[in-house]
Amino acid sequence: MTSGIKVDHLRHVYGNPGNEVVSVHDVTLDIGKNEFFTLLGPSGCGKTTTLRCIAGLEQPTSGSIELDGVVVVSDRIAVPTHRRDIGMVFQDYAVWPHMSVFDNVAFPLRVGKKLRRSEIAERVEQALALVNMDAYIDRRATQLSGGQQQRLSLARALVRQPKVLLLDEPLSNLDAKLREQMRGELRLIQQRIGITTVFVTHDQVEALSLSTRIAVMNGGRVVQEGTPRDIYLSPSTEFVADFVGATSFIEGIATLSTPEVLTVETDVGVFACATNDGIRAGDSVTLALRPESVVVGDQPTDAENSFAGVVELSLFVGDSVDYRVQVGDRLVRAKGSARTQFQSGARVTLSVSASDCVVLPSTVTDEFAAASR
Amino acid sequence: MTADLRLPPTAPATASGPTATPRRRRRRPRVGTAVVLVVLTYLVIGPILMLLLSSFEDTSAGVVVRPPFPWTLQNFASVLTASKTYSVLGATLVFAVACLLVGFVISFALAWIVERTDIPLPGFIYVLVVAPAGMPGVISAIAWSLLMNPTNGFLNVLIRTVTGSQAEGPLNAYSLAGMIFVQGIALVPLTFLLITASLRNMSPNLEDAASASGARPLTVMRRVSLPLLTPVLIGALVYQFVTVIEGVDIPLVLGLPGHVTVFSTQVYLTTHSAFGLPNYGVSSTYGILLLVLAVAPLLIYNRVVRRSQDYATVSGKAFRPTRRKLGRWRWVTFVAVMIYVFISFVLPLLVLVYASLQPFVGAFTLESLSRLTFSGYASTFSSSLFWSSLGHTVIIGFVASFAVMAFSVALSWIIVRSKSKLAWIADVLAFIPHAIPGIVIGLAVLLIYLLIPAQVYGTVWIIVIAMVTQYISLGTRLTTGGIAQIQVGLEEAARTSGARGWQVWRSVLLPLLRPAIINGFMLVFLATIKNLTLPLMLQSSDNVVLSTLIWNDWNDGKVTETAVLSVVLTAVTVIASVLLRRFSGSGEELK
Repeated sequence: MTSGIKVDHLRHVYGNPGNEVVSVHDVTLDIGKNEFFTLLGPSGCGKTTTLRCIAGLEQPTSGSIELDGVVVVSDRIAVPTHRRDIGMVFQDYAVWPHMSVFDNVAFPLRVGKKLRRSEIAERVEQALALVNMDAYIDRRATQLSGGQQQRLSLARALVRQPKVLLLDEPLSNLDAKLREQMRGELRLIQQRIGITTVFVTHDQVEALSLSTRIAVMNGGRVVQEGTPRDIYLSPSTEFVADFVGATSFIEGIATLSTPEVLTVETDVGVFACATNDGIRAGDSVTLALRPESVVVGDQPTDAENSFAGVVELSLFVGDSVDYRVQVGDRLVRAKGSARTQFQSGARVTLSVSASDCVVLPSTVTDEFAAASR
Repeated sequence: MTADLRLPPTAPATASGPTATPRRRRRRPRVGTAVVLVVLTYLVIGPILMLLLSSFEDTSAGVVVRPPFPWTLQNFASVLTASKTYSVLGATLVFAVACLLVGFVISFALAWIVERTDIPLPGFIYVLVVAPAGMPGVISAIAWSLLMNPTNGFLNVLIRTVTGSQAEGPLNAYSLAGMIFVQGIALVPLTFLLITASLRNMSPNLEDAASASGARPLTVMRRVSLPLLTPVLIGALVYQFVTVIEGVDIPLVLGLPGHVTVFSTQVYLTTHSAFGLPNYGVSSTYGILLLVLAVAPLLIYNRVVRRSQDYATVSGKAFRPTRRKLGRWRWVTFVAVMIYVFISFVLPLLVLVYASLQPFVGAFTLESLSRLTFSGYASTFSSSLFWSSLGHTVIIGFVASFAVMAFSVALSWIIVRSKSKLAWIADVLAFIPHAIPGIVIGLAVLLIYLLIPAQVYGTVWIIVIAMVTQYISLGTRLTTGGIAQIQVGLEEAARTSGARGWQVWRSVLLPLLRPAIINGFMLVFLATIKNLTLPLMLQSSDNVVLSTLIWNDWNDGKVTETAVLSVVLTAVTVIASVLLRRFSGSGEELK
């Protein structure tokens, strides 16, 4: 896999000497060609600054960036934004209100190398067709709805066929239905034209569903990098487990750890868990339970990995029921079938299979996770 | 000053690699920024140096610009120990605060009515409210002294006829109240323009959201519209405060006969002393005191504009203005606005037209109507001095306005967008000329070009240079507000689309700034041709303009000639404002 984007030891500091705010600590990324790479994290984690450094809208304090094999930032050089081979979509669309749809999309072609008028028209039409906006070509930009403006913004970013597409929370200003629809289209378009894409979001559903790989950021650092499956199923820290999905945590002590078996004793019972090489017997650990891996039933059972609780909250959300179940002095989240719904106050039994019990070392309950609570 | 831009010492070559030695990269130097700042520094620092120099000199033999300097603190000593100085200061503050109150309440109400309600003919109202901007202060002061002087002012005569009173008055233009009235409504056109421009750029969604939250219209205005307009309002307040305290024409025409002296008249009187040589040293000292008075509010303003990101109300998102339905109040409001327009603009104009058609000015009677004659116009239009003055006025107006707006846009961008520490300095530099009394700018420019062997002394170009110095602040206020309201994202989107610096300017910034630029051009043009002080200070036989002609005639007691010229100059400025309004293209949303 050749590199689409290489970010090496990126550091970015705001403010004047003596009053500095480090927004990006030390970020290193190697993004493959045609990857859909997501920077995921809460606001202020440095994801947008990292993206803006790639675009050249911010100058990093140190570190280097390569786009498609071309060094755009290093100790010696800083290529200005307009000479980088990129397209960018902004959160607030940034559609120029004084231009028509056509003029907005044609802009990148007109400011670049000279093209024939007919060629510009052809490529604008293609770009608009790609985002299903060809019917609006003669409209004024201000006559478009939010979703249409965002499509226009995407067409504008793609029209000069850049090597790199940068997306700064492009879906967050759209309403839920539109967001879901645009999410699918975005990925489809990206796959169809094949373009290295960096996507910034704080929405884990967007990140998981769109990305080939995700870097979860917190406090200016990448805390975990991997495929959506890795990130979701094997979070390496409590912060990642908590941020990527609504995970419940139970503290305990590892009692037995072999390559085959890992058992953890907690105050709600003993759990057989997915094995983890990093855990030794006697370690303080945290169990991370995904809501959808927790099975809610009304039959008491003595089986392994099951514990009793009382339904505190029961929300019907259409395709499932979201539960908060009081277990001892903590609330455990669970996702149940929509067929049967336990009402609040019901006594239930929760169970979870060993392979869904992710064990995190408590010592890695790092300062970021603590800070983000 | 350059220390901030300099690189820290380069890491030793033996350091353990590039990433181990984090250092700040230098921004690429911007040639444009440098040029703008150098020119501005020359235009602003020059006059300030002249001001300081002459205030610390014994200028009884004129200002000395080469060693040996006759240094003295006598100017400050005499000004600061005089009790007159403090009574003048008190009168100035009362005058200024009252004028601002009158001007801003009227302006905000009118702006909101025109931009946010369904009042009939908003475009027509807009033009009529702005039109008095073309009436120089000296002309409106003359008009109101014809209307309200206590002995034979037309309004007083009319009231006395109705009441049968024989005494003087009851209205008296020659009083503090009269000055406040005339100066207060003279502030309205500019204030109104500033407020409408930002109301138009402010998304009505923000107001609608407040209505939807259950707020009544007045609450919406108080809790949402006014706070959102805060940077613009405070900017305008600071600016108009200075306009009031430095304006010499109304206090001179109305204040002197009524023995009301404010700071500006005090400066004028020391510069144009009735006996002997003008004392530029004392005049400059008063100028410095005025400068101090003006800089204090500026510091407050700077704190507000620094937070301008909080007020970025123009986004890439589309919005359609909604207008509040006035219902049965629609025509009542319209009539009220028309009455205001009549008092502020039509009435003074009618008086001037009447006076211009009389061979001599006496009481207004039916008999005097039979004396109407165009002889005043005939003699004016056959005078070659009139035509050359008109030509000079127009040339100075166009050239100075173009230069001012070009500088202003560049400067505002530095102030608002650049992260440099120099931005704050640039902001102050752009404002200070307005804080210097025009008479001092005039004096300073005069002395500078007596020293520099450039062939501008005595030509229209020396007036152009002085005008640019004076009005760079007016232009910059407008363009700074305009740029602060353009979201940074629109600029960044152009850069990520591959546009280089000048392309971002041409394709995105300038088109989006067009309303602000055209508004600014129009305002500077009008201010320039109204300006009396600078042409008067820099006057020679080769660069007489209309305003200086009017002043000279009024001084000589030639009321008819003064009235003819006033009507002509007002006609020029009204036509100019209507034409420029049409070019601006922003009239379409007023239909």
